[in-house]
Amino acid sequence: MSACFGKAERSLKDQCFRALCCKGPPPPRPEYDLVCIGLTGSGKTSLLSQLCSESAENIVSTTGFSIKAVPFQNAILNVKELGGADNIRKYWSRYYQGSQGVIFVLDSASSEDDLETARNELHSALQHPQLCTLPFLILANHQDKPAARSVQEIKKYFELEPLARGKRWILKPCSLDDMEAVKDSFSLLINLLEERDFEPSRM
Amino acid sequence: MTATNLCCRTEWSKPANAPCERSSPVVQTRPASSSGKCRGDDYLCKPEDNIYNIDFTRFKIRDLETGTVLFEIAKPSASEQDEEDEDDNSELDASAGRFVRYQFTPAFLRLRTVGATVEFTVGEKPVSNFRMIERHYFRDRLLKNFDFDFGFCIPSSRNTCEHIYEFPQLSEDLIRLMVENPYETRSDSFYFVDNKLIMHNKADYAYNGGQ
Repeated sequence: MSACFGKAERSLKDQCFRALCCKGPPPPRPEYDLVCIGLTGSGKTSLLSQLCSESAENIVSTTGFSIKAVPFQNAILNVKELGGADNIRKYWSRYYQGSQGVIFVLDSASSEDDLETARNELHSALQHPQLCTLPFLILANHQDKPAARSVQEIKKYFELEPLARGKRWILKPCSLDDMEAVKDSFSLLINLLEERDFEPSRM
Repeated sequence: MTATNLCCRTEWSKPANAPCERSSPVVQTRPASSSGKCRGDDYLCKPEDNIYNIDFTRFKIRDLETGTVLFEIAKPSASEQDEEDEDDNSELDASAGRFVRYQFTPAFLRLRTVGATVEFTVGEKPVSNFRMIERHYFRDRLLKNFDFDFGFCIPSSRNTCEHIYEFPQLSEDLIRLMVENPYETRSDSFYFVDNKLIMHNKADYAYNGGQ
């Protein structure tokens, strides 16, 4: 039993509680509803699959929504990932209601045109009435590609300092081959979501 | 557990090899036409009520404690289906598309948390307020009620939803009864668009597989 409690692994602790302590299950983790957007090919589905310990092989373009419950040690994120193709983006705002946070994924190595499109979409989201008060996690993905722009370049190009002033956002580089860094970025987002829990509610 | 409606000609992948003995269910499904059981009079709506052409195309269960895929079943692609339909259309009965029979091993009932993924396509009309209510029973006893709001569905889209499903607490007696009485565990899945019932699917379950 002491071996169980010595471990940080929460699920193992849960099993020990259930099996040995008979004290009932530990309090459930808080859940947050998030929306995940970004252009097609930015890597949304792959990142979320790998966060759920699923293989990112055989992934096809999302042509609608993909809802996943992504478990973390201290929270469960119910993520509604939306396809990013041209004909699907116009429906994104249909899914904003009820969101508590936003994950925006971009391809750091994309063409200039695509980067401009991504910038426009991010700005629209930042200003959308249903999203403008929410925390944003912006992931500059595909950092493993040679053509990937740095986080500094992206921050400047996306004009985040002026445009996202007063809002809570995190910009992080990432790639599929470093999932630990991705998890750390999500932990930062969870911190922002938790802060929100303590704010007085406003109309 | 989320049951989903799959047509007679569903293919399935080989049962996943689960390293943990506790969760290594074997699943077989049999198409409704060979089940010998016609439940056509039990449905609360007709197949034609599915005016949005919602089609369930994949169903997967993962054990969240190990990450192992326990069960996965997918519909054949549209082109494969068309070829077969030409030959065998006459054998489909009215309930064929709405009923699935599952057989699991007893180990399945010992699972605690699974991720149940459902994939479905939507026809050309946009769907607002798509909602699923699913009930699982053993004989007359309600085991679990499950209510999920998909919300809006984009026209001509393919959508997936994975829900973390916690098994209801089952007593040893109940587990034994469920294993000893195959197909007396049943489920009804009701699908609504704007609160109007457009689909009703059924499934039944055995837990005596591999014995």
